Amino acid sequence: MPREDVSEEDLRALGVELARDFPGSTAADFRRYPVLSEGGWFTVVKHQKTLESVAREPGPLLGPIALASDGLDVN
Amino acid sequence: MTVSLKDLDDAQFAERYGADRFTATVLSSRMRYIVQHMCTGLLNNAFSLILRDWYDFAATISGPPEQNYPMSSVSNSLAMFLGTMSEAVRNTIEEYGPENLRPGDVVICNDPYRAGNHVNDICFIRPVFADGRIISFVTLRAHQLDMGGVVPAGFSGTKRNVYENGLVIAPTLLYRDDKPVKSAFNLIFDNARYCALLLPDIKTIYANLLLGEQLIQESVARYGVEAYLGAIRYSTDVSAEAMSTALAELPDGVYEAEEGIDCDGIDDSVEYRIKVRITKVGPRMELDFSGTSPQARTSINAGILDTKTAVGVALKFLIDPATPFTSGAYRDIDIVLPAGTFISATPPDGAVFLYWESTGPVLLAVFRALEKALGRKAVGGDYGSLNIHNANGVLEDGTPWVTTAQCGGEHGPWGATEAGDADSYSVVYQANNLDPATEAIESELPAVVLRKEYVPDSSGAGTNRGGAAVLKDTLYLTAAEHWSSPLHTKSPSGLGVYGGKSGALGATWLFHAEDRDVVRTRELLGTSDEVYARATPVAGMLDPETKCVDPDGEYFYFASTPVWHTKPHAVFRYLTNGGGGWGNPLDRDPERVKRDVRDEYVTVEGAYRDYGVVITGDPRTDPEGLRVDEEATRRRRAELAAQ
Repeated sequence: MPREDVSEEDLRALGVELARDFPGSTAADFRRYPVLSEGGWFTVVKHQKTLESVAREPGPLLGPIALASDGLDVN
Repeated sequence: MTVSLKDLDDAQFAERYGADRFTATVLSSRMRYIVQHMCTGLLNNAFSLILRDWYDFAATISGPPEQNYPMSSVSNSLAMFLGTMSEAVRNTIEEYGPENLRPGDVVICNDPYRAGNHVNDICFIRPVFADGRIISFVTLRAHQLDMGGVVPAGFSGTKRNVYENGLVIAPTLLYRDDKPVKSAFNLIFDNARYCALLLPDIKTIYANLLLGEQLIQESVARYGVEAYLGAIRYSTDVSAEAMSTALAELPDGVYEAEEGIDCDGIDDSVEYRIKVRITKVGPRMELDFSGTSPQARTSINAGILDTKTAVGVALKFLIDPATPFTSGAYRDIDIVLPAGTFISATPPDGAVFLYWESTGPVLLAVFRALEKALGRKAVGGDYGSLNIHNANGVLEDGTPWVTTAQCGGEHGPWGATEAGDADSYSVVYQANNLDPATEAIESELPAVVLRKEYVPDSSGAGTNRGGAAVLKDTLYLTAAEHWSSPLHTKSPSGLGVYGGKSGALGATWLFHAEDRDVVRTRELLGTSDEVYARATPVAGMLDPETKCVDPDGEYFYFASTPVWHTKPHAVFRYLTNGGGGWGNPLDRDPERVKRDVRDEYVTVEGAYRDYGVVITGDPRTDPEGLRVDEEATRRRRAELAAQ
């Protein structure tokens, strides 16, 4: 599963101050990727050394699964 | 730092949960009682064998949409359903639209990609209202004996896509204003077989949804909506905290393992492998399944939600077995899994039916990966495959019959633990079902269960012994067509842990009447090696000449004959894998080994070979006269220890 790089700017936008919240870490220690957990699917931004999430955006409902009916607009 | 639930004072607790601690606890227990009561109602009134004799269903309570559908209670039943049902309710209701629901509704969904499990496992979901708003959902997920598709009853690893697999039902209204929606019923009944059985069972399911709703509303009338909703949160918080505490006690680290299944239903050229990399830091865990084999070409696939279930069941077994399971168990667990693997299949080509065959190895991979971290707490592997047998035919009077999960190798051994020897006759770790009674099988089917017994020396040896493999013979009195699905025969599933040995390999054979007619000869099939030479191998690692199990032999492929057509008096023999042992076999008390020889779990030769225990006497003719030769045992154990 690919894990996207995260920039310092991304982290700042999430309210993360590296020196305060993750002393000794850099933006290179974080990745963005989808996970399945309590509550369903989330796109997380996670500190890889501690597994601490600094962002958990819900969705999509079925995660990476595309249904056979997806994309067919019945309206 | 999160405050432990136990450390909340009364005011903090009441503010968080809308009730005092005692009330929240009572309501949590009440919810577990309700789902169990719903299950009892279905079990006692079901007509279908798969419900009545197998307990192939589960009940849950979920919270409302604004709480994100937390699953606060699950029944003590089929574990394979419990991890999927929280997502199934959310995905079904979100797609249908909670705003479109009203009192008296039941919504159904059976799509494996939306709701997990397979198409026969329909989710029946009823919203529960109080003061005009949804406060809960009561759900029964129950296996319907048939859901159409190319295989009657469905259990086959040879179906190639969703079109062959069976009817897919997107979120659909089944009841409105407590009246059946005829078009929805007919959608099922015009596509499925055995509908005369399905109809009364669906009515029973509906009645038990009403029971669940009624019991919830009684609780709300007594304690109030806010206390009830608080108790839903409390239930999931308790299990989240319990799992988090258990995770924190595991050593931090990265743990990796592989597991797999033999092949799919096209040919035996592809072996399917699961790769898991578990990272554990403090109270958090991440399981990454990247690198797992692509989805299979036939219906041995599992869906993503089935994999989630297997992870949850594995961790409950290993580190948090004592607290009730809820959706909160996953709070500090993240699963990373790309789509399109054989444990995260996608439609239309990634057909999902025998999903437990692929997620059983997920569970075993977690067991393997964490074995060293767990030390003495490690748990041995089970028999790995349900070895489902699915058959049908016609009686002399033209009545069709079907059997599913009754006459194969569906029940077998578990692995040993620190606590003691393993049970030898249960269902796979993810199941938790009943064993269909022989009397029920023989009263309804033209089948005779000839033999059901444990096999000596099949258990994984250990300080604590794994469960013994089960051997089962079934005679079919009429012509029939059969689908057989043993999918874990190439390598032991019953892994030994903490120095224990792995269990033996299983296999499946067919004895055609022209090769060996047990009715005409009035003799059971024997169990000695020479009996297999005239058998037709169905699956397993076998010696090509003798057809006996041989780990270094040739692999006989389960779908080499996709459908086995048999004349009257054919016999299928299933031999399960053995369960894994725990601890060094040389540390097992010789008296316990002697008792195993007496009870025929172990032979005199096996005691010498595997345990270094020298037994004198004959277990058949004088079982109480067996003796341990202590001096010879001491010498033999020293010899084995030096190897």
